[in-house]
Amino acid sequence: MTRTTNITAILADNRLDKDRSVWADALERVTAAQVEQALAQAPGRYSVARMVTLLSPAAKAYLEPMAQQARKLTIQRFGRTIQLYAPLYVSNVCVNSCRYCGYNRQTDVNRTRLTREQALADAEVIAAEGFRHLLLVSGEDSAYVTVDYLSTLAHELRRMFASIAIEIQPLQKDDYAALFAAGIDGVALYQETYDRDVYADYHVAGPKRDYDNRLETPDRYAAAGMRRIGLGVLLGLADWRLDTLAMAEHAAYLMKTYWRSQIDFSFPRIRPATNVIHEWPYVVSDEHLVQMMLALRLCFADTGIVLSTRELPAFRDRMMNICVTRVSAGSKTNPGGYASDTTAAEQFTVADERPPAEVAAAIARCGHEPVWKDWDAGFIGV
Amino acid sequence: MNDMLKIADREFHSRLLVGTGKFASNAAMDAAMDASGAEIVTVALRRVDIENENDNMLAAIDRARYLLLPNTSGARDAAEAVRLARLARAASGIHWVKLEVTPDPYYLLPDGEETLKAAQTLVQDGFVVLPYMNADPILARKLQDVGCATVMPLASPIGSNQGLKMRASIEIIIEQATVPVVVDAGLGAPSHAAEAMEMGADAVLVNTAIATAENPVKMAIAFKLAVEAGRMSYQAGLAAQSTHASASSPLTGFLRNEQK
Amino acid sequence: MALLKINGIDKTYASGAMPATLADLLTQMNIDAATVVAEIDGAIVPRQAFADTRLADGMTLELVRFVPGG
Repeated sequence: MTRTTNITAILADNRLDKDRSVWADALERVTAAQVEQALAQAPGRYSVARMVTLLSPAAKAYLEPMAQQARKLTIQRFGRTIQLYAPLYVSNVCVNSCRYCGYNRQTDVNRTRLTREQALADAEVIAAEGFRHLLLVSGEDSAYVTVDYLSTLAHELRRMFASIAIEIQPLQKDDYAALFAAGIDGVALYQETYDRDVYADYHVAGPKRDYDNRLETPDRYAAAGMRRIGLGVLLGLADWRLDTLAMAEHAAYLMKTYWRSQIDFSFPRIRPATNVIHEWPYVVSDEHLVQMMLALRLCFADTGIVLSTRELPAFRDRMMNICVTRVSAGSKTNPGGYASDTTAAEQFTVADERPPAEVAAAIARCGHEPVWKDWDAGFIGV
Repeated sequence: MNDMLKIADREFHSRLLVGTGKFASNAAMDAAMDASGAEIVTVALRRVDIENENDNMLAAIDRARYLLLPNTSGARDAAEAVRLARLARAASGIHWVKLEVTPDPYYLLPDGEETLKAAQTLVQDGFVVLPYMNADPILARKLQDVGCATVMPLASPIGSNQGLKMRASIEIIIEQATVPVVVDAGLGAPSHAAEAMEMGADAVLVNTAIATAENPVKMAIAFKLAVEAGRMSYQAGLAAQSTHASASSPLTGFLRNEQK
Repeated sequence: MALLKINGIDKTYASGAMPATLADLLTQMNIDAATVVAEIDGAIVPRQAFADTRLADGMTLELVRFVPGG
């Protein structure tokens, strides 16, 4: 028997990638009684219907009970801990022209590619701050950020870090397998938006125009054995409720198919960047973002919920007390930004500029333990 | 209502599978099967008794009405199960098999490791495999990954009539499965079957509780109705239990100051 | 003398008295061939081949059939 289901077909069959008005209508029709019924069920189980209910405008009046449940469930599944990680940008060269991004190849900014030595210098600063979880980030720079570059770098980094993830261009399954063998155990790759038309509108040139290739990339790295699957939508491009529904279906599909891997949701709200447009048709308010995070938690008990330094300190501190399980801290979003006073362009402007130790103190203040390292890939012989 | 049970490439109206063992007579078995509404019935394979007269149970089963599902009961390891499955296919022409590997003669608990091995071989050999298994969610996913058409976790030890002792694990299996979940073994009363269906099981398999009832036909009807009721309840969505209202907003109060 | 091991039981035949084919054996034992599946020395014999399957001294036969079961 062959399994014919794939994510492209699932989204198309459910009209989550195009002509999504049927879902917009369903969201509008949800009643307060339905929300109350959903909240009376045991939290942590996913169904499309439950997701629609919790994301609906009607559920907006129930954020407090949702937050109470989400907090309880998160503590039950993750304990009173929050994991810290730091991003290391190795290149801001990019072949794409995404209209929202500071790395857009059409913008005139200071481009930098870190040599292995420069990357290690940044990594040493990060390690000295206490981090043991690292995220390697780059623009879509496949000419420079190759499997070979990353493998060699990972080999060195493994001395300093327990877990290394990447957020780079999509690769092939064999490439991911090689990176996994080199000690990289997680991949984050955001679809940005699941709406095909909106996607085409923002991704005007470069390989990233290929919606399907991007959508099917998590299949490739999960099949290659990656333990952490990072999903996300760039909040501001399209209706957040509809994109959250599509992302939830994507997550449910991946969880069932690649059940050895863990899903993380990220919530990047569009931040200002140099030389890119500043007016967004679908601005996501704090309240909306909270509802999105709560709805996902109440449908997925065991997924990681990640909040980066794109968010302000006050908001991050509140959410760490509700359902967040991983945060970045002290982030520099420009290559070389940790070890030098570089003028290289940032991908976005950081909103939480507190040093890592202050973020750790904030975690402790909300009754959680800041965890710099919670597992070691070396333990299982990778 | 179009709510069919789909296993491999076949669809069934009934979500109750029945076993044919332990009935007092072929006539009692036939009457109970008829009353149960079942479309899938399990049979076993045994050596012909060469010293005595054998009766032919196949003659008692209407093959046009029921899908005969041979099991591999008696197999103690993967090799025996594969051999039995192939014999069953040769005997019946049916390439469906309920895979059972039970080395323990007392509780007849299934051996997960051998079951997985046998499943792999049989799927490659073209069988539609329905494996009987302990309520182990990881094993369920491995069986699903090698191409099994269903998973069949036991509710409690076979023949024990104890009901859904494995409830917590079966809930996880149902939540994660991409193939139908058929709860098998240990369902001693129609209420147990209803409970399994209410949880979201796709079907149940019942034998002892029907075959050994005082009135097997009545019990078969009771199970049929219980399975339908449980299914309907699952689809309807169980009503709310209780909501704990919270007056204050300690977690989300900060949002009120925000400009919408 | 000739010997067949059938379902774990040794059956001995005076010389010339052993059934020539599998079909003959089943007839002699009063077993309806349509309900039986046979294995000779570990290999399944298709039912259509029963009449053409010649028996020989020392063969091991398994004759199985469906019985009630759960």
